[in-house]
Amino acid sequence: MRALKLGAALAAALLVHLVGSRLWADFPRLVDLFVVVVVLHSLDGETLPGMFGGLAAGLLHDALSGGLYGLYGFADTLVGYGTARLAQRLVIQRSTGVFGVAAFAAAVQQAVLVLLAFLLRTDPGLPQPGGVAVRALICGAAAMAAHLAIRSWHRGVESRRSGRMRRLR
Amino acid sequence: MLGRGAAERADTVSERGTAWLLAALLVGQLVLLAVQVPGSGGADNALESFALRVVGPVARAVTGTAASVTGTRQRVRLQADILAENQSLEHEVERLRLELLRLRDIESEMQRLAAALDYAAPPVGRVRAADVVYVDHTSWLRTLVVWVGEGKARPDQPVLAPQGLVGRVVRVAGPYAKVQLVTDRAAAVGALVARTRRQGVARGSGTGALVLDYVPLQVDVRPGDRVLTAGIDGVYPRGIPVGTVVAVEAGGQLFHQIRVAPAVDLGSLDRVYLLEHEPLPSELKETQPGARP
Repeated sequence: MRALKLGAALAAALLVHLVGSRLWADFPRLVDLFVVVVVLHSLDGETLPGMFGGLAAGLLHDALSGGLYGLYGFADTLVGYGTARLAQRLVIQRSTGVFGVAAFAAAVQQAVLVLLAFLLRTDPGLPQPGGVAVRALICGAAAMAAHLAIRSWHRGVESRRSGRMRRLR
Repeated sequence: MLGRGAAERADTVSERGTAWLLAALLVGQLVLLAVQVPGSGGADNALESFALRVVGPVARAVTGTAASVTGTRQRVRLQADILAENQSLEHEVERLRLELLRLRDIESEMQRLAAALDYAAPPVGRVRAADVVYVDHTSWLRTLVVWVGEGKARPDQPVLAPQGLVGRVVRVAGPYAKVQLVTDRAAAVGALVARTRRQGVARGSGTGALVLDYVPLQVDVRPGDRVLTAGIDGVYPRGIPVGTVVAVEAGGQLFHQIRVAPAVDLGSLDRVYLLEHEPLPSELKETQPGARP
């Protein structure tokens, strides 16, 4: 069930990514929906699914980007594992907490990508620090919005269920 | 109490196992990355090809839907302009026919001269259209995914637009191909300044522009000069427009620092053309062992 949810979330992220890039060329530069999916998937604190979720999302993202295949796979695996470990130590239930974790994860992902680029390429270009910050903030906002939407959907389902139970009694 | 301790121990062991698995996964991925480094353009990568086959149809569906929506909207909007456009196109066709006649005349003259000199010009390949299904402009990585269809593409195949050079095919997965744009930081093209015929290497700067390297300071290069492919890199044939010089600065002690604007607006591509060009045999690309440069 978890894997199915992850698959559906990645498919949705892929679709939004493609439509967004079609409508606005700068969309992939400003927001990384795959890392948002990884963060939300890892928030329950389970490291193994977080890690493999990160790997799957990263490799999917790699198929869409140029350069060496596996850069995003590596970075998102680390992000998935790190987020799950963080969620084991902190109670992240408020949307602002999700915003912070996702923004931090997006910044870490960019840092890992730059590090890999330095290790593996002779002349890597550095992304603009301002651009990285904006990307991190947008990723945080996207994760917060998705978290709020999921929570309100859960509440709706729960209230409908409890209403049915009351009527049955 | 004992039960809780055992459960905590089991959790720790499981976490340790996950950490080892993470380390193994990361090492595996680093190996996968390192393997690609020497031939980052041409090395076969089954995993990437598989992922491209998964992502390609989705990207194509999105592009197709967007194109049909845009097409319908444009058809309605442009109906009124069609007559005027048709008239101007007729004039354009007339002009191009005359230009073609002139060029044919020059071509036959060149062929006559070439025959007199016993010169065999390299064959000019045919072009094949391919639809762009995805463009990636993120950070220093710049690529396109194109739908090639039945006729397969091959790695290192030059990719053009009507205005000039777009890049080269770096990965093929069934009917899809990944194209490295000339503006990618890892891209390099043997190029020449059309006015002076001076050769250099045009490299992608990763910012959407190109840099023309190895042009000595004593060579006259001016903003506005056209830059063409030199046909010396074994990938691109000679004479394809690469871009226009926009700035010339004195770089080091030996070479100019030349910025070149690409000939093609790479952000607005929806169709590209793959050149059926005979590549340089790989054994000729490599330096002979023991040979002196």
